[in-house]
Amino acid sequence: MIEVTEHTRNVLLDVAKKKKIYVEGSFLKLLKAPKGDKEFEEYLKVCKEKDITARRKRLEVTKQVQSQNKELEAAAKENDRINKQLSKSLEETERAMEDARNAEREAMIAKAEAEKLRDDAMEDLDTLQKRTQFELIGKIVKFALYIIAGVGILTTTLFGWTLMTGQENPILESTWSNLFGILLTNSFSIIGTIMGVKYATEGKGN
Amino acid sequence: MIDTLMLIDDENLFHLVFEDACSLLDMALSIEALDSSDEADKKFKEWFPDDPDHERPDCVFVDLNIIGSSFDGIEMIRKINYDYGDGVVIGIISSSQDEFEIEKAKKVGAQFWIIKSDDIEPRLEEFKEDYEGYKNKTAPFKIYK
Repeated sequence: MIEVTEHTRNVLLDVAKKKKIYVEGSFLKLLKAPKGDKEFEEYLKVCKEKDITARRKRLEVTKQVQSQNKELEAAAKENDRINKQLSKSLEETERAMEDARNAEREAMIAKAEAEKLRDDAMEDLDTLQKRTQFELIGKIVKFALYIIAGVGILTTTLFGWTLMTGQENPILESTWSNLFGILLTNSFSIIGTIMGVKYATEGKGN
Repeated sequence: MIDTLMLIDDENLFHLVFEDACSLLDMALSIEALDSSDEADKKFKEWFPDDPDHERPDCVFVDLNIIGSSFDGIEMIRKINYDYGDGVVIGIISSSQDEFEIEKAKKVGAQFWIIKSDDIEPRLEEFKEDYEGYKNKTAPFKIYK
């Protein structure tokens, strides 16, 4: 402890009276009033009270600032967390959009492939139908040709037989003549039709 | 009353709170507040080789996590106790109550653990009452909640 000299004591008291300046801080704890000096004891008491009041005020303010600081830090952390979450969500959305775009692209490719397959199938079916039709026509034509040839041969044979035997049969003659004419005409018509169909089918196939 | 007290804590606002609280409680004559363990380490290193008892504080309060420092509070206590002479009352002041960390602190020679909160004065007052026991190494490790 420091016991102040009379001169220092007087100066301190004078400064306190005239300028309202008091000793403060940790140094105050070291000062000791001379024995029996009530005035200086009172001065030191006032100094300590003022120091305690000032410190208490500062402590309260500091605590408030500290508390606000903590709240701000917590808010900043929360903001940071939300920002990170948003960034993550954004990334996920972008990824999902990219996935959707890829899926759309794949779907379009699949659609194009399906359309191509459908067209191929249609074409195959068309070809098959045409081939079937052509085969049917061929059979009909063959059958017709056999009939024509058969009737032709039969009437020709009958007509030849009447000629050889010297019999006159005007009905048979006219029948053979008419029939042969009709059959020849029709057979050329049928052959023409067949050739036309065949030509058209081959042209489309190419 | 403690003659010289040292606080090692990265939070400057807490320095003010601590200094004012100690002053109001008449706990220490002088307080030195440092904001990094490196700075404290440097000081102890300077004091130790020539005169282990010279200039060093009587009591040291160390924060557990000192942001911006090379090592934490527990390592600081270990260094002071094992590398620089073990001549001070030393403990942790932290908002953490981690059992694992408390055990680690005890192992390196921490004598107390003060939980940092808005209302620090009652804990410091309690500590002030126990201080002589820590100084004489008779008080057991204590957590001030």
